[in-house]
Amino acid sequence: MDHVGSCDHELRRNHHEAVDHTVFDHTVFDHTVFDHTVFDHTVFDHTVFDHTVFDYIAATGRALDSIDVRREQKAMNTEFLKLQTRRHFFNDCGVGLGKIALASLLSGGAAGSSIAAPASRPSPTSPQPPHFPARAKRVIYLFMAGAPSQLELFDYKPKLVELEGKPIPPSVVKGQRYAFIQPDAAVLAPRFRFKKHGDSGAELSEMLPHLAGIVDDVSFVRSAHTDLFNHSPAQLFVNTGSGIPGRPSMGSWLSYGLGSEANDLPSFVVLKSGGSLSGGASMWSAGFLPSTHQGVPFRGQGDPILHVSNPPGYDMRAQRDSLDLIQRQNRKRLGVVGDPEILTRINAYEMAYRMQTRAPELMDFSQETAETVSMYGAESGNSKQAFANNCLLARRLAERGVRFIQVYHAGWDHHSNVEGGVRAQCRQTDQACAALIRDLKQRGLLDDTLVVWGGEFGRTPMVETSAALGRSMGRDHHPQAFTMWFAGGGIRPGVSLGRTDELGFHVAEDPVHVHDVQATILHCLGIDHRRLTFRFRGLNFRLTGVEENAPVEGLLA
Amino acid sequence: MPIERFLLGCAGVVWLMASPVLCADAAPRPDQVPSFNRDVRPILASKCFECHGPDEESREADLRLDTREGATADLGGSRALSPGDPESSEMVARMLSDDPDEKMPPPDSGKSLTAAQIETLSRWITGGGKYERHWAFIPPERPAAPVVKTTNWPRNEIDAFVLARLESQGLKPSPEADRYTLVRRVYLDLIGLPPSPEQADAFVLDRDPQAYENLVDRLLRSKHYGERWARQWLDLARYSDTNGYEKDRQRSIWPYRDWVINALNEDMPFDQFTIEQLAGDMLPGAMLEQRIATGFHRNTMLNEEGGIDPLEYRFYAMVDRVATTGTLWMGLTVGCAQCHSHKYDPITHTDYYRMLALLDNADEPDLSVPYPAIAKDRERIEAEIVKHEAELAGQFPPASGEGSVDERRERKLEAHFTEWLEAEQSRAVNWTTLRPSHLKTNLPKLELLDDESIFSSGDITKRDVFTLTFPLGELSAPATALRLEVLPDERLPAGGPGRAYYEGRKGDFFLSEITATAGGQPVTFASASASYGKIAIGSGNADAQNVFDGNGSTGWSTAEREGEPHQLVLNLQTPVAAAGDLQLVFVFERHFAASLGRFRVSATTASGEPTASAVPVDLEALLARDSSSWTDSDRIAQKKYFLSVTPQLAEARKKLDELRSQLPKFPTTMVMQERPVDNPRKTFRHHRGEYLQTREDVAPGAPAVFRSLGQDEPTNRLAFARWLVSRSNPLVGRVTVNRAWRALFGNGLVRTSGDFGTQADPPTHPELLDWLAREFVEQGWSLKKLHRLIVTSATYRQSSRVTTELIARDAGNRLLARGPRTRVDAEMVRDMILSASGLLSDKVGGKSVYPPQPDSVTALAYGDTKWPVSAGEDRYRRSLYTFSKRTAPFAAYAVFDAPSGENCTARRDRSNTPLQALTLLNDEMFLELARALARTAVDQQPTSTASASADGRATFLFRRLLTRPPDDGELEALLEFVQSQRSRLKNGELDATLICGEEDASAELAAWIMLARAIMNFDETITKQ
Repeated sequence: MDHVGSCDHELRRNHHEAVDHTVFDHTVFDHTVFDHTVFDHTVFDHTVFDHTVFDYIAATGRALDSIDVRREQKAMNTEFLKLQTRRHFFNDCGVGLGKIALASLLSGGAAGSSIAAPASRPSPTSPQPPHFPARAKRVIYLFMAGAPSQLELFDYKPKLVELEGKPIPPSVVKGQRYAFIQPDAAVLAPRFRFKKHGDSGAELSEMLPHLAGIVDDVSFVRSAHTDLFNHSPAQLFVNTGSGIPGRPSMGSWLSYGLGSEANDLPSFVVLKSGGSLSGGASMWSAGFLPSTHQGVPFRGQGDPILHVSNPPGYDMRAQRDSLDLIQRQNRKRLGVVGDPEILTRINAYEMAYRMQTRAPELMDFSQETAETVSMYGAESGNSKQAFANNCLLARRLAERGVRFIQVYHAGWDHHSNVEGGVRAQCRQTDQACAALIRDLKQRGLLDDTLVVWGGEFGRTPMVETSAALGRSMGRDHHPQAFTMWFAGGGIRPGVSLGRTDELGFHVAEDPVHVHDVQATILHCLGIDHRRLTFRFRGLNFRLTGVEENAPVEGLLA
Repeated sequence: MPIERFLLGCAGVVWLMASPVLCADAAPRPDQVPSFNRDVRPILASKCFECHGPDEESREADLRLDTREGATADLGGSRALSPGDPESSEMVARMLSDDPDEKMPPPDSGKSLTAAQIETLSRWITGGGKYERHWAFIPPERPAAPVVKTTNWPRNEIDAFVLARLESQGLKPSPEADRYTLVRRVYLDLIGLPPSPEQADAFVLDRDPQAYENLVDRLLRSKHYGERWARQWLDLARYSDTNGYEKDRQRSIWPYRDWVINALNEDMPFDQFTIEQLAGDMLPGAMLEQRIATGFHRNTMLNEEGGIDPLEYRFYAMVDRVATTGTLWMGLTVGCAQCHSHKYDPITHTDYYRMLALLDNADEPDLSVPYPAIAKDRERIEAEIVKHEAELAGQFPPASGEGSVDERRERKLEAHFTEWLEAEQSRAVNWTTLRPSHLKTNLPKLELLDDESIFSSGDITKRDVFTLTFPLGELSAPATALRLEVLPDERLPAGGPGRAYYEGRKGDFFLSEITATAGGQPVTFASASASYGKIAIGSGNADAQNVFDGNGSTGWSTAEREGEPHQLVLNLQTPVAAAGDLQLVFVFERHFAASLGRFRVSATTASGEPTASAVPVDLEALLARDSSSWTDSDRIAQKKYFLSVTPQLAEARKKLDELRSQLPKFPTTMVMQERPVDNPRKTFRHHRGEYLQTREDVAPGAPAVFRSLGQDEPTNRLAFARWLVSRSNPLVGRVTVNRAWRALFGNGLVRTSGDFGTQADPPTHPELLDWLAREFVEQGWSLKKLHRLIVTSATYRQSSRVTTELIARDAGNRLLARGPRTRVDAEMVRDMILSASGLLSDKVGGKSVYPPQPDSVTALAYGDTKWPVSAGEDRYRRSLYTFSKRTAPFAAYAVFDAPSGENCTARRDRSNTPLQALTLLNDEMFLELARALARTAVDQQPTSTASASADGRATFLFRRLLTRPPDDGELEALLEFVQSQRSRLKNGELDATLICGEEDASAELAAWIMLARAIMNFDETITKQ
């Protein structure tokens, strides 16, 4: 163990030497790069290097104005540091490093310190500092797939009662494209009663009694709007900033930009309940970002993370024995061929092992008090309570440092019988949403956890009826206006922002585009959405697209 | 190759390193004038072009710095660039200014110039401020190979270029890799599979000096060569077996995938390979195979979500086609010019849409592929059907009473036939086909065919409206009813009669409303009937009356009987006079595009209330005629039809129905079909790249920057394809050889494989790149020759071991002082282990298959999709054949960075993650292979002497996976592991039955399975080194 300690010491010293002896132009370096936090986690990070074009940067002297450049810059350092470390590794420690020493190097750091030992987190998801101080460290995004009716839940329009059965004036519907209905369809009145709640006086439907109970912790945006009027593209748009599959999702951007705080769980986890998701796996894809940033879907049945359980017949010791043989061989090869990538693989296997040991505990709700479980309405193993279970799991993931927890609940696509549909969905979701906020708050997690609730678009003030499809008393897709709510880190509570016209058709005040929502989320996490970019096919892509978009000032704490 | 002579021939050529890469400081020496391409353009491109570049819309102060004309233009007394005179050059003054309003780049732009960069620009101006074309836009010439000092190292020209560079850096190449490493490397690179230990030994022991070259030639002839290289091409082609987006339904385009494999195996020249994929349908006398090849650009996604605007998603597919074409054949990010002129490269917004127009004028049908084996099956079954039809009459139930069975049968048949005939005769009316005088629609093109039916082509929408005008003058009396026949046509999806091609059933239609006017007066329908009606999707009915109920959401449809004719009869409230025009308006309104593809309109003057009949119209016409006019063949036709419908033979016909259901269908594949000359598709410029914001229409053409290079400018898809592989396109050779280089070395000579534009990474070995590009073309565009050239070079054959010195000098191996070492691609991970296990099927081509994975993978996709695991051989096919579902990619590949077919992928990631570890350790698919491998080891190494057999088994497992033999230390570690697991198994701590996955498992076998699994997880196993 002493020997390991000295290795450790040696590494740190070498890294300071690295600063002195660097062959790179000092002017391009930001000092934070040499901050231990960054250095310690990236010293063996060959993977990062693989994804960069660092020579290109050196050759072209591109501006260091975005995170991708910061990464590239870091990769330059990393390369050099790796060299130093490798030299040390071979010269000083030799290749015969024992099993114990290695295990210690890999096991996750000195006790009591948030900074792990060098080489303990050699991954591209190592934490990175934000652009400016962050208000939130993580996001729980409650995505209501299918698009809930804002007119039944949040945006009360008495005028629709008055006009029910009549068409909306052509001047209002002119030029709009709809998925199923013709724009001259008749108006449908709201199906529920509304009441004001809390000190903030937010007006909510009778379908949301639990949300009403925490209404002052929440802020509403009634003027959200989007560009797309079909589910799959619109869901992709909210998740990736583009309606075409293939772009990085918000969780991937955050994993890429900020790294992960969890060393035994993925940085971006996807939970799902309800029906089918139109946007599919593209919604948690890393797109053109390094694929290690893609969301990891937890499975409803079987292993929560695919293949996290040992195969039948293998106990943890058999797994450990196998790993020891694998790692011994890999270390040996590292000594022979010298490729630092082998060290990355050694570390990846150790993290996999840690994931295996932690996963069962993560999923074990028996650690929760009965009070907590019943507050959510959760019931382990009951698929009818899947959303409540996922909300509770989301909190547990948040506690364990997962950066982005995407909770999908599908089933809000009420083309027919919007009244019955909304009623049923609220029964499944209202209590758990409110419980999540309460629970985070009572644990002090709400301060640095951002919770977002919303769908991909809204629903028409007009009725949808179709004989061929057997539909009546429904509402069609409506991209022009819908409602979202926000709570927690970075959000000023109790705000009601934005207003629609008296028909609930267009936004009349404070429009908030989906890209603004994304900019807001990034802002709460300390990221300037204009500077989080990645070069692909000749363009500097960003989550929020090319138009001028901005965080919603009125929402920010 | 006589290297010495070759090198002598090059003596005296001054060849110095022209590439700036690897130098941290790119600034030239003070006594040199900075080179525009090497030193200046990178600065201007990254700092200035965004506001002063090719994009006219974002250009500030009317100043462009990407051309000399622009930079030296008079700006009202001053000039940004005064050649030779930095002091009077406004750009220098601005760069040096302290005034934030004056300073360039503006301080708030986030861009700033270093002192060294300003210095470089100033000295460039002093030296005359000369511009050069971007290197990639200058057609490559074949440079002479440089002179090197170490003349005994190079094996071919590649090595001369590489070595010259190394020598200039004071570096030496690495020694040749050992024979085991080399044989494994070249197997993996050329056929994507590892050698068996026997194959490896054969090479290692082969003393022929040409042993390696002979091996390479053998591998190039292997049928697996095409499979390995097809995978790379399919990444670029964004191949997938599903449509993408929400529903992500299955599509059939695997014949295209097989075409790629075959073309590569046959070493089809790359120019032909290009032309056939982009425009095979337009080649004179296009063969079936050439049409299949056009599936290349059909690999774009298709949105089938209910309610989409189909033309919007067609536009996005076109955008993808332009970007993919640009990446693949031009190495240019032309996609950047979708919204505005390119910020860095000389591609204008209009250029972009001119390129789009080159690809735009095509329809996108399915092509039926008559594979001979299937055709043979069909012929056999069809013959049986004919035989059974002929036997039907003989199965008619005999009447009771007297006479022989045959007589009684004949009697009863005649009685029933006569009865049927009389009934049908009384029902049949005489219909007169109406010949239209005018055909008008919102968008599709309607044309009149010889049989007076009307055929629809061109684009369709969610609300198509056909306005048809028929002169009624030919009728003998007022019309009492109208008949609409909807007709099949092989050109239509699923044979028609409708044109639905997404969301609904292929070939379906949905006729919402028919309105009629005669002489300008509305015509009222009294009733309606249909021969058949069914609606797909939804719960509505397909009653004939729906077409005149005034409700667009009801209608008539004939789903599930595509490829057959059906009819609808409308009875008029009041007869319409046989004069003037009848105008019919058909409205097709649904949440997907579903208008009719082929139809015919007739009228009758008959009284009574004619109804739609299931009897074919020819037969009905016959029945309506006086029976005295019937010929013998008329009677035979009537009888034949009767036998096909009479309830008396229902039982007998069951065999026929069964035979018909057994008729195997030909697979279809998605192809391009150039549109007819009389209905070209117009292409517009789209403001801001948005679908709805169309502006002026544009003519097809190549980007202006290349126009001076070309002889004839391409004006259609075929000419464009030919242009792409001509001297007019300076990039195609470089881009293609660079891709091959990347596949073999892990990185291209140009790192940014899909981008050779001004923002791209300059090549590490520019002369080598150009030499290879020319050599490739001169060798007849042969990919096999190119691959052979590279893998037989000394450069390729170097050991990949790396020293600390080398890491310090060249961490990214840009100088190529060592061989490649990379983790293999996702599919190869599985293929290698499949091959080692002995289970790999070597069948080439065919439908995609489903290797085992948990249902929970696809359950995440829309519609809770199941994963129907293949049985038998298909479970163990090469990974190239695994069914590729875009919204739920095969988990074991996705985790190893395989693309999902959404983008053209020129460079895959190579990540190294814990999820990969979990997959290789715990995925049931891999465990199955470990079991098979260990079983073979145990079976092949009998337990005569325990220790010898253990050595043998461990070595066997190790070599199957790693090729090379283990050294003593390794062997010892393997045996130690087996021993310790064996004792745990024997003392009951571990359950052999579970580990072996079978009842009669032994502890011995289980221990070897555990070892096989562990070796599968060695870094070296999944690494090409």
